[in-house]
Amino acid sequence: MKTYFFLGKGGVGKTTASAAWSVGLAHSGMKTLVASIDPAHNLGDAFAIRLGDRITHVGDNLDAVEVNIEDMIRAYLDELSVKMKHTYSYMSAMNIDGYFDILKNSPGIEEYATMEAIKKFVALTEYGVVVFDTPPTGMTIRVLAMPRVSLLWTEQLIKMRKRILATRGMVENVQGKFEAEVDGEKVVLSSREKEDPIMQELVSYREELLALKDMFSSDQSYVEIVTMAEDLALSETKRIIESLGKFKIRVRAIYLNKFFAMANPPEEIQGKMEEQERVVGRMKAEIRGIEVKNIPLLRKSPRGINELLDVYSKYLV
Amino acid sequence: MRRLLDSLKQSFRTFDKGMREDATSLIRKQLDEEENVFALLTMGVFSGIPSPPTGVVLRILPHMSREIAVMNKRSAGLDDVFSQTLGTFDID
Ligand SMILES: Nc1ncnc2c1ncn2[C@@H]1O[C@H](COP(=O)(O)OP(=O)(O)OP(=O)(O)O)[C@@H](O)[C@H]1O
Ligand SMILES: [Mg+2]
Repeated sequence: MKTYFFLGKGGVGKTTASAAWSVGLAHSGMKTLVASIDPAHNLGDAFAIRLGDRITHVGDNLDAVEVNIEDMIRAYLDELSVKMKHTYSYMSAMNIDGYFDILKNSPGIEEYATMEAIKKFVALTEYGVVVFDTPPTGMTIRVLAMPRVSLLWTEQLIKMRKRILATRGMVENVQGKFEAEVDGEKVVLSSREKEDPIMQELVSYREELLALKDMFSSDQSYVEIVTMAEDLALSETKRIIESLGKFKIRVRAIYLNKFFAMANPPEEIQGKMEEQERVVGRMKAEIRGIEVKNIPLLRKSPRGINELLDVYSKYLV
Repeated sequence: MRRLLDSLKQSFRTFDKGMREDATSLIRKQLDEEENVFALLTMGVFSGIPSPPTGVVLRILPHMSREIAVMNKRSAGLDDVFSQTLGTFDID
C-alpha cells in the first residue's frame, strides 16, 4: 500500500491538493481512500458532499472519510475508564475519573489518537493507496515523529521492566512465589516475562511502533508539502524537510499553490510576482531531489470530482 | 528534536546506572524502588512529571494497578514522592 501525507500550514490548500490527488489516483485505476485527520475538516467541502466518521463512497475507486479525533479520544478513554473501574476495585471511582480528566488534557493525546487513526486506515488492505489530509504542519510532524520517539521510550521501559522481573526472580528464589497485597487483595506476581502483562503490552506496542516507523520511512510512503511562493515559505519548507529527514521521512514534491500566472499583471501585484519568481528559483536551486510544482490561483475554488480531476491532470502530475 | 532525544537518552542512562548499583543488598527494598521509579516514570502524567508519550502510558495503564498502588502508598507523604522523583531526574 502507498500512503501520501499532504502537509502544510492552515489555508494553503492541503485539502484541495489531497482531494485532487486522490481523485487522480482513483481515476488511474487505483483503489483509493482519502482520509482527513485534520480536526478542522474541510474535505467534504472539496468534494461538495457531507463526510463523516463513516467511510463514504465518493466516486469510482474512491472512498473518503473525516476522522473525528476528539470523539475517538473520548470513546477510547471511556472504554479504558470502565475497564479500570473493574480491575482497580480499590481505587474510588472519583479517583479514576480524576485520572481521566488529566489524561484527556495531557499533551500528546491528540497526536496519539491521530497516529492510531493512521494505523487503522493503513491496515485496510482493500485499498492500494491512502491519501491523508493532515492537520497543520507542526502537529503532523509530531505525529510522524511519534513512532520513533515512542519506540525509544518503549525500549527503555522494556529494559527497566526486565530488571524488575529479574529482581522479582531473586526474591522468588528466596521466598517462593512472589505475593503482594494490593489493598487487602493478595496477588501473585510472576517474574516471567511471558506472564507479566506490562511486559507483554510493551513488547506488542514495540512491534506496532516498529511497523509504523518502517512504513513512514519506506519508499511507499510520501510526504507532499503544500505551500505558497513567498519568501517565508522557503526557509519554512527547508525546516520541514530537515525535521522529517531526522526521522528518515522523505518529501516527494513541493506544491506552490495559488500561484499568480498572468501575462500582463497590474502594477499592484508586480512586486508579489517578482517575489514568486525569486522563491521558485531559489527553491529549485536550494532544494535538491524534490520536485517543485506550481498550482495557479484559479478563478474559482475547485469543488467536486470533475474540477478536482482537472486540477490533478493539469497541475499535479 | 535531536536535543530532546539526547537528553532523554542521558536521563535513561542515569536511571540505568542507579538501578544497577547495589544489586545484592536489600533486594526487596530495591524491588520496591524499581517498581516505584517505573510507576513514577510512566504514570507521572498524573502528577505533572515529564512522561513518556501518552500512547505508551495508555497502553500499559490497565495493567498498572500494583505499581499505582505502590505509588499511592508512598504519596501518603507527598513531599517524599516529589523529592524521590526529583532525585530520579537528577534535579535538586
Ligand atoms: N489554486 C487554487 N485556486 C483557487 N482557490 C484555491 C486554490 N487552492 C485552494 N483554493 C481554495 O482556498 C481555500 C483553502 O484551501 P484548502 O481548504 O484546500 O486549504 P487547507 O490547507 O486545507 O486549509 P485548512 O488548513 O483550513 O484545512 C478553499 O476555499 C479552496 O477551495
Ligand atoms: Mg483543510
